[in-house]
Amino acid sequence: MSDFVYFFTFQDASIAYVVIGITLLGIGSAYVGTYSFLDKKALLGDAISHAVLPGICLGFMLAGEKNPLYIVTGAFLSGALATFLTSWLKSKTRLSDDAIIASILSIFFGFGIVLLTVIQKSGNPEMAGLNQFIFGNAIAILEEDLYIYGGLAILIIITLSVLRKEFSMLVFNADFGTSIGYPMGAIRMIFNVLMILAVVIGIQAIGVVLMAALLIAPGAAARFWTDKLSKLLLIAGAFSAVSGILGTYVSFVIPQMPTGPWVVVFLSLFAFASFLFAPKKGVLSRFIARKYYLKKTHQDHLLKAIFHGLEKGQSTFPIEEIYESFPYKKKETKQTIDDLVKSDLLINNQGLINFSAKGKSEAKRIVRLHRLWELYLNEYMNIAPDHVHDSAEKLEHILTPELEALLENRLNYPKLDPHQETIPRDNDEL
Amino acid sequence: MITHVESPILEIHDLTVSYDQSPVLWNVDLSLPAGKLIGILGPNGAGKSTLIKAVMGLVPVTGGYVKIFDRELNDVRSRISYVPQRESVDWNFPASVLDVVMMGTYGKLGLFRRPGKKEKQIAMDCLDKVGMQSFVDRQISELSGGQQQRVFIARALAQEADLYLMDEPFAGVDMATETAIFQLLQEMTAAGKTVIVVHHDIHSAMNYFDWIIMLNLHLVASGPKTEVVTEDLLRKTYGGKLNLLTKVSDIIRQKDFNPLKS
Repeated sequence: MSDFVYFFTFQDASIAYVVIGITLLGIGSAYVGTYSFLDKKALLGDAISHAVLPGICLGFMLAGEKNPLYIVTGAFLSGALATFLTSWLKSKTRLSDDAIIASILSIFFGFGIVLLTVIQKSGNPEMAGLNQFIFGNAIAILEEDLYIYGGLAILIIITLSVLRKEFSMLVFNADFGTSIGYPMGAIRMIFNVLMILAVVIGIQAIGVVLMAALLIAPGAAARFWTDKLSKLLLIAGAFSAVSGILGTYVSFVIPQMPTGPWVVVFLSLFAFASFLFAPKKGVLSRFIARKYYLKKTHQDHLLKAIFHGLEKGQSTFPIEEIYESFPYKKKETKQTIDDLVKSDLLINNQGLINFSAKGKSEAKRIVRLHRLWELYLNEYMNIAPDHVHDSAEKLEHILTPELEALLENRLNYPKLDPHQETIPRDNDEL
Repeated sequence: MITHVESPILEIHDLTVSYDQSPVLWNVDLSLPAGKLIGILGPNGAGKSTLIKAVMGLVPVTGGYVKIFDRELNDVRSRISYVPQRESVDWNFPASVLDVVMMGTYGKLGLFRRPGKKEKQIAMDCLDKVGMQSFVDRQISELSGGQQQRVFIARALAQEADLYLMDEPFAGVDMATETAIFQLLQEMTAAGKTVIVVHHDIHSAMNYFDWIIMLNLHLVASGPKTEVVTEDLLRKTYGGKLNLLTKVSDIIRQKDFNPLKS
């Protein structure tokens, strides 16, 4: 607990630097990543993040120490080379996108590991810090690192905000942008530069291996919550910043714990929670919607069953008889009857069930929709009368009053369905 | 049967376009009059979309040139509007109808500047013209095919251009929308605009267009409807791919270089 208070009250200036750094970096990379996710270029981010490793090692070798300026420049150049090679190979060969990206990723990363081993063998005492670039160590962010990484993150956020309409057009409809004379090639290049920078600023805190997750996961998780671009960017940024801070906290509390994997763990929690619980698009809300729909269909079928009895001249409906018409569903049927009684559609008079006025009109409406649809299929789509029932059984639950009016109008207020059964209306005698 | 006109609004001179080396358009040479509703007809794979993409500089040309208003394309972009095929974009992109229509004003607005009240007003007026004003705040992912097409046309109107190039604006559109769009295009030509439309249905084309271009890898015909729509020319356009031309394309594809490139 004291760790928690110590960390989140920022008594230690170095912790404040780390938190500011990770927040800026989280927002910046989520911002760029959301666009590349919408552009369906998620894999490119992964390739770039692996491809910066040789640049980091070369920067280290040239500087002879962990100089952030050398390392950032090296990482940027090697990320840029990987991006350039990807598009060059695409234009010059017939290789598919995924093959190109997978090769670039593994070749660059492999080369980076070779360089890393060479540096290890050299016995440079500064070497210890270099391993952190694989999985990240946010706690090691120093004040001078913050100026570089934080500064670049702010540059990314500002550029994306200023060029928002241009980048949206690039993703949505680049051809249209070209047609109105926008330099879409240059805009694409600026976007790629921002993407490489977003990877570069994460190498210290998150590490090259997992940086791709910080680019893509926030946008993908936020997509479950909204259809508006501005909200999408805000939610993605928030997910990313909060995960970053939590991951940093864990690596602060538990010594020797790398930051990157923990940030990704928290991001995955956000993504998983979005997938499960987001309204409308989440699994849970879709499950509930389906449950509700099934319940409604059972209610409709029960009302119909009583109405069919009424049509055959039956006047009393013992509850047991209704149970029998829905075999193996007694519990569900009992619940449905209770619900229908509660909503004033049925009346339960000591085990004898009957319609209320409202219930009868509702039952007529369902049967009417069923028969109107059967007639429509038969008359307008030339489907034989013995083939129309199944479709009507499904559509009777979802046809809207507007469609009902349209059907009535098209079919000229018919009296009989294709099976010569009366289409019930509110003012008829039954 | 190729009719050339004096002082054309669009002149295409010996245009050849290739994809992956194999030519998809051979030496198209035509000129078009202003203020007309012009249809580009031809079977699938005839190069109709490629022709207007080449006019808009969206695909590299192997040979020939295009002149619009007797100028280079880049000098007159603000006077031209291009409507891409509806299927060419991802309609799941998180944007509202207004966002998309407002893109029509970006050309005049220029880089870096954000659209403001004036641009919003233009977009609203254009949505009104296509009967979509009640959909302003709707997300584009919720639109039907016909509504998407109308949004694209509203975006084109927002460009306030003189020449419109539309790629299959009637594809996947219901009858009522088709009639409404067609009436709108007629009003535009009556107001002096020139509208060029890629179209696949020969029967409705007969009613819709003043001037018809027929393509089948090469230019079969270009001229006033009454002169161009003959049984002979229709057979040349739709009567299957030209065997010899396809074979030549195959030979070129197998080469290591494109011999047509100048």
